[in-house]
Amino acid sequence: MADTELTLAGATAPDVVADEHDGDLHRTGRLALIVRRFVRRPSAVVGAFLLLFLIAFAVFGPMVANWGYDEPDFLALAQAPSAEHWFGTTTGGSDVFALVARGLSRSLLIGVLSSLAITFVAALLGTMVAFFEGWFERVGMWVLDTLLVIPSFLLIAMITRSASGKGGWLVLAAALTAFGWVGYARVLRTLTLSLRELDYVHAAKYMGVGPFTIIRRHLIPNLGSVLIIQTVLGVVAAVNSETALSFLGLGVKAPDVSLGTILQAGQSVVLTSPWVLLAPSLFLVALTFSMQLIGDGLRDAIDPYSRSGGKA
Amino acid sequence: MRFILRRLANYVVMLFVATSLTYFMASFFMDPRSNYLARNPRPPMASIDASLTAANINDKTPVLERYWHWLVGVVTRWDWGLSPTQEPVSGAISSRIGASVQLMTLATVLGIVLGISIGVYTAIRQYKWQDRVLGSLSTFFLVVPTPVLALGVVIAAIWINQALGFRLFYVTGLHSYSGSNFWLKLSDLGQHLVLPTIVLSIITGVTYHLTQRTYLLDTMNADYVRTARAKGLPLMTAIRKHALRPSLIPTTVQVAFTVAGVFTGAVITETVFAINGLGRYFITSIVQNDINASVAIAAFAGACTLVAALLADVAVAWIDPRVRLS
Repeated sequence: MADTELTLAGATAPDVVADEHDGDLHRTGRLALIVRRFVRRPSAVVGAFLLLFLIAFAVFGPMVANWGYDEPDFLALAQAPSAEHWFGTTTGGSDVFALVARGLSRSLLIGVLSSLAITFVAALLGTMVAFFEGWFERVGMWVLDTLLVIPSFLLIAMITRSASGKGGWLVLAAALTAFGWVGYARVLRTLTLSLRELDYVHAAKYMGVGPFTIIRRHLIPNLGSVLIIQTVLGVVAAVNSETALSFLGLGVKAPDVSLGTILQAGQSVVLTSPWVLLAPSLFLVALTFSMQLIGDGLRDAIDPYSRSGGKA
Repeated sequence: MRFILRRLANYVVMLFVATSLTYFMASFFMDPRSNYLARNPRPPMASIDASLTAANINDKTPVLERYWHWLVGVVTRWDWGLSPTQEPVSGAISSRIGASVQLMTLATVLGIVLGISIGVYTAIRQYKWQDRVLGSLSTFFLVVPTPVLALGVVIAAIWINQALGFRLFYVTGLHSYSGSNFWLKLSDLGQHLVLPTIVLSIITGVTYHLTQRTYLLDTMNADYVRTARAKGLPLMTAIRKHALRPSLIPTTVQVAFTVAGVFTGAVITETVFAINGLGRYFITSIVQNDINASVAIAAFAGACTLVAALLADVAVAWIDPRVRLS
């Protein structure tokens, strides 16, 4: 009995749209609606395919490459692209194709991991600061503001500087998370201010539901769309910081490879072997741009007030 | 006035706490001893300890003792400590700020003015082709990582130089002319500044374009603008008189923070174009395990942020009649 009630409640939810098809009622769920709106945007679809291609390249690239990223070809130093080395080689003889495939998977991994972690921490702490009003909110806001005083890039650079070797990228992802969540948490706290006044949140509170249950069951789902968009766009920000730090020699360090370290290697040979710069730059821009397109598409697809045109 | 003073007091406390945290973090993560251990031949331990202690960064001294020593120096003598090479940090920083300001001033002004103008222009032409083209361009430049953008500009400039057969653009440094002719000096500075200015203006400009467009569109659809249109004002007049001004309020906050960034410089751009500004100094100091210098730069950057926040408060209160300082 309880089960049927639940499905009924689900079916009458306001975000379910009924579509007439030859007289019989055809229901469109929220997810289907979002997918349909997303697919209607050409730029979003292009972004999604671009991302799929990049992921495929990062996964299968090392398998099809003639050379590994860590086995330099000493007979071909600083060679232009050829049949043997598709994207050319660096001055050290490393195959740029293999480097880019490896670096892309590193950058993607760091970007996605830290963006997910940032969203999680920011959502939890942002809603907590808003939900426990009174002194907790005042102290919490003060702490958040204090953490924002010093530019986070400087603090991340300090931490990642000492990390090196194969595990260095994990430290980098952790550092990006540790100082990247503060701004988001402030934004989410502002959004929660109106959510905490909702009737059913009050009701749950006075029924004696635990605060973390309310946060998990009522506040976070209400922020769902914001969180999804933020996670996608957060990948762009995280990849950008990762590249910048690695480019400066402070993030991912040799022997590990990221797109930033390839750029750093290419910087000194701009004149003599520009292909070392070209390939990673193209892939990097493709990565951030596809994420941005997907994020923009999702924003329009999820936003119930979207004026992107068309029906539903 | 009392409101501003209270804000100021709060900001000073925040800056103090944030800087202290940075000091402890830097002391924990940075290891200046390794500078000496990596030298060949390795100096004797006693001499390493002596130089580390002289710079107050010896990891054998308890960190609280070092912190206290450092704090007393900063508060009583405005002495921000020494580098591992025994150079005073304060002097090194103040000379770098000059280079950063030279580099950033023009780029910041250009970026803000162009960004806001394009934002207004595209908001008025929402969904027309000008808006679509400029919008996609800005979105593109917004996500291009700074190293890629800067290196791309460098490659393009070298290509133009080669095509022209002489050096029109210089890709490193701020000066190379050492004579006393003022005009040659100015054109020399210009040749060096063009490329980093392009990079920095693009970076600043695109954010202003996209945010200003959003803000103006928000106010353009507001009720009072519709009222103004309904009483017969032409669209342009209605926008100029009623929509533009409120849309500039959030932009003002942004401007305050961008202006503060002029003094802290641009890390990536300074590195690519080999300009000895504060951003590049920060990277060198981190690479060289220079605890005192990194903390001082972080403190300076924090102070700039807070001054900007204070300026933003005052500016908003000044433009926005709805805000009262009380």
